[in-house]
Amino acid sequence: MSVIRSMHAPPGRADRHRIARPNGWWGVVVFIATEATLFGTIFGSYFYLRFRTAAWPPKGIPDPAVTVPAILTAVLVATSLVVQLAFWAGRAGRVRAAQWLLVLALIVQGAYFGIQMHLFLDDLDKFSPSGSAYASIYFTMLGAHHAHVVFGMFLELFLVLRLVAGLTNYRLIGLQATTFYWHFVNVLALCVLATQIYAAL
Amino acid sequence: MAVDVRAPEHPRVQRLEQVWEERPGILGWLTTVDHKRIGLLYFFTTLAFFGAGGIEALLIRTQLAQPESKVLAPDTFNELFTTHGVTMIFLFVIPMTTGAFGNYLVPLMIGSRDMAFPRMNALSYWLFLGSGIFIYIGLFMGFGPNAGWFDYVPLALRHFNPGPNVDFYALGLILNGVSSTLAAINFIVTIFKLRAPGMSLNRMPLFCFAMLAVSLALIFALPALTIDLVFLELSRKVGFQFFIPGNGGDPLLWQHLFWLFAHPEVYIIVLPAFGIATSIIPTFAKRRMIAFPLVALAELLVAFIGFGVWAHHMFATGLPTITLVFFAAATLMVVIPSTIQVYAWTMTVSAGRPEFRAPLLFIGGFIVFFVMGGLSGIMFAAIPFDQATTDTYFVVAHFHFIIFGAAVFPILGGMYYWFPKVTGRLYHEGLAQLSFWLAFVGTALTFFPMHIVGLIGMPRRVYTYPHGLGWDSYNLIETIGSYILAAGLLLVAFNLIYSRFSGAPAGPDPFHGGTLEWTIPSPPPHYNFAVIPTVSSAYPNWDEPDRAVDAGKLERGELTYEAGHETPTSTVRDGVFDEVVDMPSESPWPVTLAFFAALALVMVLISHYAIAGIFLLLVLFSLAGWHWKEPQEA
Amino acid sequence: MSVARQSKGVEFLQWFGLLGAAIVWTAQLIVGFGVTVADCSVAGAGWNIDVDTWQIVLMAIGVPLAVVSEVAALLIFSETRGLHHNDPPPWGRRHFFAAAAVWGNLLFIAIILLSGIGAIYNTPCQGS
Repeated sequence: MSVIRSMHAPPGRADRHRIARPNGWWGVVVFIATEATLFGTIFGSYFYLRFRTAAWPPKGIPDPAVTVPAILTAVLVATSLVVQLAFWAGRAGRVRAAQWLLVLALIVQGAYFGIQMHLFLDDLDKFSPSGSAYASIYFTMLGAHHAHVVFGMFLELFLVLRLVAGLTNYRLIGLQATTFYWHFVNVLALCVLATQIYAAL
Repeated sequence: MAVDVRAPEHPRVQRLEQVWEERPGILGWLTTVDHKRIGLLYFFTTLAFFGAGGIEALLIRTQLAQPESKVLAPDTFNELFTTHGVTMIFLFVIPMTTGAFGNYLVPLMIGSRDMAFPRMNALSYWLFLGSGIFIYIGLFMGFGPNAGWFDYVPLALRHFNPGPNVDFYALGLILNGVSSTLAAINFIVTIFKLRAPGMSLNRMPLFCFAMLAVSLALIFALPALTIDLVFLELSRKVGFQFFIPGNGGDPLLWQHLFWLFAHPEVYIIVLPAFGIATSIIPTFAKRRMIAFPLVALAELLVAFIGFGVWAHHMFATGLPTITLVFFAAATLMVVIPSTIQVYAWTMTVSAGRPEFRAPLLFIGGFIVFFVMGGLSGIMFAAIPFDQATTDTYFVVAHFHFIIFGAAVFPILGGMYYWFPKVTGRLYHEGLAQLSFWLAFVGTALTFFPMHIVGLIGMPRRVYTYPHGLGWDSYNLIETIGSYILAAGLLLVAFNLIYSRFSGAPAGPDPFHGGTLEWTIPSPPPHYNFAVIPTVSSAYPNWDEPDRAVDAGKLERGELTYEAGHETPTSTVRDGVFDEVVDMPSESPWPVTLAFFAALALVMVLISHYAIAGIFLLLVLFSLAGWHWKEPQEA
Repeated sequence: MSVARQSKGVEFLQWFGLLGAAIVWTAQLIVGFGVTVADCSVAGAGWNIDVDTWQIVLMAIGVPLAVVSEVAALLIFSETRGLHHNDPPPWGRRHFFAAAAVWGNLLFIAIILLSGIGAIYNTPCQGS
């Protein structure tokens, strides 16, 4: 028999005894580091292009809306708490609670995405991305952010389905990873909102 | 010494063999998750691309051997030098050092049974293969990338480049970038978590420090390239205005983002080579590396400072001096960690009892060429000098001394050095030494005259040049040199192929190296280590007491983990044993996912965006299928 | 102080000694470079950015912080004086990092100074 493995769960917890963070945690953290850098270069390009133009937005393009996006962003950021609660529930062994919390997050995020898509298409009607560098970076930045929201929803959907068969260490790490991912996406949402507010000033 | 050499019939060893072996045949290779097999897949694929890039180089040199030559048409020449650059950097050097050497050796050197994410490792390979095939389909269809390996706008935009050439470049490199990003994540987590108990960070081999530095650099550099390529494709396909000055855009945005990636990229090219050199030198000098902590940090410092020098590629663009000084300052200073390494290497050799076998000869050649390439490089830190020599052959000389001399020579030395471990046979020493001298003379002859011809005015990327400028004899010598170099490389290949079948048996440790790969049989068993080794220094194979302790553990079943498909993990800083993790077995998902991803990009290439979306959905389904079963069930 | 808290303090010193100067230089590069790009651009020209003051402030904050990082590394190095870089963790590992960091930080201090002085010496927006 091999050396005793530290696999047993602490009392009241469904995860294993560990000293270090699990491999999956590190994997997601490094992945988020690279995605954060990706958005860093998008924001860097945004400000680089801003300094190339006297008027921002250029003449003829309306200032970006601030109120509705701000409300939407606040709602999205609130789902970070929901997903975090889902992880804590899972870690305490309460699988059904975790699933229902994920479903709640999905519904809210789905609504967020739907309304954002409507606003996005509305903007496309008003000004074209091929009309100016401002429009190009505006739509690219928003599009990149929304794509990350969709992927986050896909992660949650996968987990809801997988948790039907119960909780395992692997799925718990997946839940933790998804939580992390959503916190990251929500920080991005705040940064995107900040650029929209900046342009509207 | 290796426990399992003496005990292949031991029931624990047999159980390990049973648990870890993979399917035979082509299905086994398509579904493999074994880091050693994936390393070999990378090795042979990158060698094929090296051959392709080499042929491109020989064609270029043949065209340039004489003035006003008509061997190649100008457009073909543009495709050849662009594809040569793209191939050598993205399809040869980086996948060879990270995918082949890194994948094969890192788990062995840290005492682990595989990488942290074996299936993602396979995915990295299949995505890489897809990216290479994608770009070469473009070349063979007559639409090879043609705007230089750094693909400046506006030349790369639709207006000047209406064909799909640049689309093959951009989409191929996006796929390649995803492959490298995933590989980098894998290396970082593996190096952090899968080290054998006792291998705290200060006891990790220098090769692993180099791979850690490379992986961190890839994580933070690739996004800039990815976003640049996305901007480019959006501009070309849908008319976005990132790079058009009239509409608020800026062609320099392409350059800033590109070099923000590409300067760290050149350190990514060279750092694993440093890692190979720091593995070979102690073995053949028969002593530990002098100033080990400084060398380890220098690897990380070069990678880090390399992020702050990018605009030295833009000194001739008219940017204000006040902006450029930041980069001149960092460029001047970035040479210092490399210099520290050069001193450490040479002092280790001279303080040891060196045995100049082929691997060490190649490292000697590496040091000579690296110093020369570094000297020409530091000259570029001076803005006025750079402005006089940018886009001349002086630059071509500099980077070939670095890439060929400082990256390829260690690769060749490393091929000889680890050949006995991978194949179980010894290479032919005499042929190997001859191959070194041919390669060394060939490299010097090909690239040294480029300094001179560049200083007397020959620009880079020209497909021909007129008589009477004094460039003729230099170009002819360079071409002759390239053929000698090719002969040397062919001799390396011949030696390795011949020795693979007829070489003398090597045993586990022919060179008495210091790191853990030399404690196991050659070739390594599927499970790598029957007993996870105890480690108390950075040169564990030279710690006799530890190796003796391991010998008793097989019998007692300590650190053997043969119950399932398992490997232990340890804490990040101090290598304290933590938990045992289950590892996945062969899986069809990596190759499937890569296939759909490649097809999605093909659809983007031909502007069928809806179908591209469908393939992207299939990628997501593959991701779901992949994670549906857990590693111990998979 | 309890052993655990003491060890946390030592760990922080080790990491600050290793990474502090590097982070300071990164900040100086991003802000210092960014300020020159802004000042020399179409939109930023009208803002009358005093580039020299920015560079002086960056150096005035950056150099002392980088020096503090070096001091932290030196502290850990002297605390682990007798050890070898192969010695058992955590002290062997701390010695290893400190031994490297004491030299690395000097490099960053040099780059911060060179960049700042070079930026101040040059007239804003004059072409190269």
